[in-house]
Amino acid sequence: MPNETPQDQIRNAWQRQPVENVAMSLEDLRRKAGKFQSRIRWRNAREYAAVAVVVVVFGYYCKWVPGPVARAGSLLTIAGALYVAYQLHRRASSENAPAVAAFEDCLSFHRRGLERQRDALRSVWSWYLGPLVPGLAVFIAGTAIAEPLPIRYRVLSGTLMFGIVGVVFWLVARLNRSAAARLQSQIDTLMS
Amino acid sequence: MGEPSQDERYHQAAAEYGAALERLARGYELDADRRRDLLQEIHLALWRSLARFDGRCSLRTWVYRVAHNTAVSYSIGRRRSGDRNLVSLEEVELTLGDRDGDQAAGRRHALAQLTGIIQGLKPLDRQVILSYLEGMDAASIGEITGLAAGNVATKIHRIKTVLAKRFSQGAQNAE
Repeated sequence: MPNETPQDQIRNAWQRQPVENVAMSLEDLRRKAGKFQSRIRWRNAREYAAVAVVVVVFGYYCKWVPGPVARAGSLLTIAGALYVAYQLHRRASSENAPAVAAFEDCLSFHRRGLERQRDALRSVWSWYLGPLVPGLAVFIAGTAIAEPLPIRYRVLSGTLMFGIVGVVFWLVARLNRSAAARLQSQIDTLMS
Repeated sequence: MGEPSQDERYHQAAAEYGAALERLARGYELDADRRRDLLQEIHLALWRSLARFDGRCSLRTWVYRVAHNTAVSYSIGRRRSGDRNLVSLEEVELTLGDRDGDQAAGRRHALAQLTGIIQGLKPLDRQVILSYLEGMDAASIGEITGLAAGNVATKIHRIKTVLAKRFSQGAQNAE
């Protein structure tokens, strides 16, 4: 066309490019929807399996470790792990709310997704690490108290365990904080 | 006559926008197999969403919102494994001076280049350029993306500059 601008030409070329005409039958869609649900179920199952491992291990400790303090620590750790599982489940459910993609424009949808991830990372102490702290602290203290060793070795072993667990928790929190900061900068860019 | 069912609406949407959805998927995914996966994800999301279509916007706006939002979620998931720096339209515009030699390319080359540029854009800029290429006006693009009209107009202006500088010769050679 003689009066077409270069922009019109490239736009027309874009729209005329060959496509494969990928079609999905309703049976395909239903089958894929079923697979999607089963993927979600598997993901949940993996999270519950991790919690189950904690429950089994600390359940075993609860029965066999010497001293009431360590047993109380085991029970508290189990309670903490169950709380973390509940939080994971709650957050996963809100992520998978069906068919919300069309109710929001792209900007809101994208921003909300980033904010949700940022908030989960920022609040990792309150729902992921924090609930495990009391149980682990009491458990470590309890096992150190119950060890048949001179007091200075018990103090040393307790301190060492607190140090190791503390460093691991600190690293996890730090990684989450950095990831949250990266998401925040993406949100800022989105809104600028 | 009653309201169309979810399945009927899906058939209508797939017939009207199926080709556009394929082009949209090209703007998000380079690899052919993954692009097919993405397209299937989009169709699935669209079909599921249409169970709750309530006429709050046109079917076209609905389809494009679902498609872009699904594609963005998909590419965010993909990028977790291989991080990639996305650029804005402004940054693409600034680098144009280095590419004058590419202007002699034909339409296929121009389209391949354009697809490459689109895939490297930040999500909102990508959504605007894909909508522009599908022939939408600023108001429709604003409704889909949620950007203010002025912002869309600025972005379209930049897109036109990019297309004019980078592809004019290539597109002419192709005709």
